[in-house]
Amino acid sequence: MSIDGQSTAGPEEAGSLTAGIPGLRRAVIVGGNRIPFARAGGAYAKSANLDMLTAALDGLIARFGLQDERIGEVAAGAVLKHSRDFNLTREAVLGSALSAETPAYDLQQACATGLETVVGLANKIKLGQIDSAVAGGVDSASDAPVVVSEGLREVILDLSRAKTLPQRLQILSRLRPKDLAPLAPGTAEPRTGLSMGEHQALTTAQWKISREAQDELAYNSHRNLAAAYDSGFFDDLLTPYRGLSRDGNLRADTSLEKLATLKPVFGKNLGADATMTAGNSTPLTDGASTVLLASEAWADAHDLPKLAAVVDAEAAAVDFVHGKDGLLMAPVFAVPRLLARQGLTLADIDFFEIHEAFAATVLSTLAAWEDEEFCRTRLGLEGAFGSVDRSRLNVNGSSLAAGHPFAATGGRIVASLAKQLHAKGSATGRPARGLVSVCAAGGQGVVAILESL
Amino acid sequence: MRAEHGGGMTSARPVILGEMPSLSKLYVNAAAQAARRRLLGTHDGTALPGESHEVRGVAVDVATLTAYQHLIGETASDVLPAGFIHALAFPLAMSVMNRDDFPLPLLGMIHLRNSVEQRIPVFFTDALDITARVENLRGHRAGTQVDVIAEVRRAGTAEICWLGISTYLAKGVFLPGIDKPSPAPDRAEFKVPDPTALWHLGVDTGRAYAAVSGDFNPIHLSVLSAKALGMRRSIAHGMYLASRALADVGPSRGDSFAWEVDFDAPVFLPCRVALEITTVEGSAGAWCRSDFVAWNPRSGRRHFHGSVSAL
Repeated sequence: MSIDGQSTAGPEEAGSLTAGIPGLRRAVIVGGNRIPFARAGGAYAKSANLDMLTAALDGLIARFGLQDERIGEVAAGAVLKHSRDFNLTREAVLGSALSAETPAYDLQQACATGLETVVGLANKIKLGQIDSAVAGGVDSASDAPVVVSEGLREVILDLSRAKTLPQRLQILSRLRPKDLAPLAPGTAEPRTGLSMGEHQALTTAQWKISREAQDELAYNSHRNLAAAYDSGFFDDLLTPYRGLSRDGNLRADTSLEKLATLKPVFGKNLGADATMTAGNSTPLTDGASTVLLASEAWADAHDLPKLAAVVDAEAAAVDFVHGKDGLLMAPVFAVPRLLARQGLTLADIDFFEIHEAFAATVLSTLAAWEDEEFCRTRLGLEGAFGSVDRSRLNVNGSSLAAGHPFAATGGRIVASLAKQLHAKGSATGRPARGLVSVCAAGGQGVVAILESL
Repeated sequence: MRAEHGGGMTSARPVILGEMPSLSKLYVNAAAQAARRRLLGTHDGTALPGESHEVRGVAVDVATLTAYQHLIGETASDVLPAGFIHALAFPLAMSVMNRDDFPLPLLGMIHLRNSVEQRIPVFFTDALDITARVENLRGHRAGTQVDVIAEVRRAGTAEICWLGISTYLAKGVFLPGIDKPSPAPDRAEFKVPDPTALWHLGVDTGRAYAAVSGDFNPIHLSVLSAKALGMRRSIAHGMYLASRALADVGPSRGDSFAWEVDFDAPVFLPCRVALEITTVEGSAGAWCRSDFVAWNPRSGRRHFHGSVSAL
């Protein structure tokens, strides 16, 4: 199999992908911690990104005994970020129980931020640059930055450069009442003016994804997440915060009938069949997540668990601006390239974590991989990429039920998947493989393979 | 069209103006001329003025350029957007149509279509020689139409960098000796495509474009000033819409391109405008052309359509 002309290398040895490229060591996931995700305007309405990221980080430190530990590096980010938070992650480290000598940096890749921090830090561990790392992300849709108008901003900046009183008065006289109205952050793509939901509505119609299929996926997300909570799956993945001990968006008692009563919210004016509702789209959410990564030696020396290894990752982007591909379809291209590089097919994956930006995003992705024509002409494959076994998809629920604080989603998925893989691997005695796929604004996507240890 | 206008040599007699005419004075003159013609009867000429108007060594204000680029969604580069050059040349176009021997009433003329060849990129540091003349007076099923030809050269050079042809309609004006063409065949009904972009145009869109283009035509400025001229609300400048579409086509258009737009229905403010951009590629996958069409997402009525193509 060849994708985009890349030759593909087989796995290092039968059975395990993580035996390692010569000279590189493994990067392992020790565990994770997040705070429950809250609906915007809910329990975390007054909590800032720094508060939530610090809360998630402190929970991780407590869980793994990292007080006063100098971690190799901490990387996290937020999509909706105040300019005062220019050093958000370093500030969270300084406000946490970690050693103040722990360096940190911020990263921003829209909704792929969290997963990209995992990938980047894992690579540093593999290269031997660091022995331990914390990856993470946080977002608040409640405490979002509000921006002043361009008119007011220019007046303030010009005032700061003015030297004399007449100059200042002249600059102030430019202010008009409308300049005082603040601007809230929008969700529209800068180059198209279409919101993410409107972009997905076009893709949804293009792939003919039905309302029923979307509602069913949303229903399964809530059902799976509720079952995971009931079985205690999240007991060592989550620290309660501000009175929440479960995700505020979870509706354990929802039903297909209830979901079917909701009115469409996206795609009503686009000439497409409107099928996307508040029930099968992710809500605006507040929350934070963290993941502890380490070399095997560091984990052993600290007597910490090794759940899974970060095997490989791939980023992709699509040319969505004039509609060549859907805004959220980049993972459709990234996954086949990644699996080909590792000599794998969809059948080799034990668990799929495909981020539920919208139910229709997941379903459009699956539909594209099953479409022979698309896979031949656009992915360069010989036929259809294949089908995803639905019983392996988002088995502990995903963003539709948990919510989606943009930069926090990658950490939520990686920590949960690592735990799920470790349990499966321990039970079967053979390595279990998981695939993470996260789409992002700007037509981007990041995907990664984890394997149990 | 290209062969007809593109030679750069015309028989028009140049009238060199000392500086760019003031658009606001031209609008006032046009109003006075309209009143005069109403009192004294319409102008009865059917010939176009044979003079071209020219201003030499026009300099660009970089602050206005930056504001223009930001407003229409172009990156603030040192190259003048093709629509910005149109705005630079516009006062000259107006001054030719403001002449006493121009046979059509300037006020109330409707911009039907615009065609630009951006042959050579122009930088904001270039001093420019700009000329404008009128040509091709002809009938239209709803009145009389005319082309304004504008040419822009680097100061003191002969080669045209930018050529613009703006077609205007004097609605309801029929001049003796100019035949009304037979009605246009029914155009195929416009079928609304999937949009690739959605513009949210506020009520101040016209004022904002007036500030960067200098075109303070009252029909664009406010509901009140538009009503004074018989419009139900203010409308967006056609060249604002066309320039945004050109910006949305993006960098694939390269340094030199042809840019055409046909205006179908005015955009009343505030409103949302849906836009579709379709890329046409050549055999090797190279960019040949981008077609654009814009419509009202509520009514499905087409506002304008056109293309940007490789020169």
